[in-house]
Amino acid sequence: MKKELRGVKALLRDAVHHGSVAVERVQLETARRPFAILEAIPGVKVPAAIVHVIHDASVTGTHAVIRAVNGAVHGLADKALVEVETVVPPTAPREDPP
Amino acid sequence: MGKKLDFAIGILNGAIGDHLVRTDNGLAIEMAFMKDGAQVAPADAAIGPRVVVLVHGLMCTESIWEFPDGDDYGARLARDHGYTPLYVRYNTGRAIFENGEALSTLLARLVAAHPGVLDEVLLLGYSMGGLVARSACHAAATSGAPWLPLVRRAIYVGTPHQGAPLERVGRAVSRVLREIPDPYTRLIAEIADLRSEGVKDLGESPIRGEDRVDADRAAFSLREPTHPVPLLPQIRHRLIAGAVGEEPWMEALFGDAMVPVTSALGRRTSAPPCEVTILRGQTHATLPHADAVYEVITEELSGGERP
Repeated sequence: MKKELRGVKALLRDAVHHGSVAVERVQLETARRPFAILEAIPGVKVPAAIVHVIHDASVTGTHAVIRAVNGAVHGLADKALVEVETVVPPTAPREDPP
Repeated sequence: MGKKLDFAIGILNGAIGDHLVRTDNGLAIEMAFMKDGAQVAPADAAIGPRVVVLVHGLMCTESIWEFPDGDDYGARLARDHGYTPLYVRYNTGRAIFENGEALSTLLARLVAAHPGVLDEVLLLGYSMGGLVARSACHAAATSGAPWLPLVRRAIYVGTPHQGAPLERVGRAVSRVLREIPDPYTRLIAEIADLRSEGVKDLGESPIRGEDRVDADRAAFSLREPTHPVPLLPQIRHRLIAGAVGEEPWMEALFGDAMVPVTSALGRRTSAPPCEVTILRGQTHATLPHADAVYEVITEELSGGERP
């Protein structure tokens, strides 16, 4: 059962990590279009470019934090599982009554 | 583990089993013989001279064979024909040829562990299990594995010998979505492409590694492919197809709701003459535990020796 628990934990970590990478890419690509239009207008070109950089940095930063927290939670869960295994030893096979 | 948890893990393996293997995840199923939900090593399997190897299909476990009353084809074959049932459980998300090679190795270990005991091995595959059994035979023929001469018959139940159109349609839709220059449609395509190698293999049903189709370069065709590997001529093959309705148009259009009748009967496979049976009123879901299928199996077993 421990093997399965560790498997579920690893799967959740992978799902959050890959999900975050995919959503980050979609958010950056989605924002690129309106910013490209704004950056083509002479009057707002410079401020739009600045906001674009700030936007991209905040998106990238947010997802980096999500992935870092995910990694940390994974590490903590690993330690917790080791603790549980230490405190609760595997049950010995039950002997048949005489 | 409970049957429901086992079944859930079986579904997970079918969906992303290749990822589980690649990441060395503990949820990945290793191919093994199973008895009462526990693995049985080939050396520990109590077998008689005749064994039937039951290979389940995509996203399920050996519990798929169970009738509502707890009976199954293996138990019936033991009772009526003296076969020892060996239920195989495996990771259906791996490529078919990988599972075929693993099955061939498992059967070789069984034969080696019981020298002189085995007289006959009967292969019974449901859906993808039939392809895995065929792939194992091919691997055994190539490597000269000692169990292959013991196989006189192979029975395929609802096996998509020429692939399943649902996977080909899914592949086409995913490809169209990927071509649309929109991040959201591309994301949907990426999620669809997460499906396992085993699922992707069901498009063309390749039983050798070299016949596998790269989904990105696959011809944009929804037609059933001609299978490059024939059924082995030294084995008697029985192909059983289900059909959702009684009418011929229902049979032609829907097959057993998952596998077209032409694919289940291997009509475009360069096959040796083999017995085929269409069971009308049987869907893909009912085929692994249907009285009508067992009647065909019984008929096959009383149908004479190797041709």
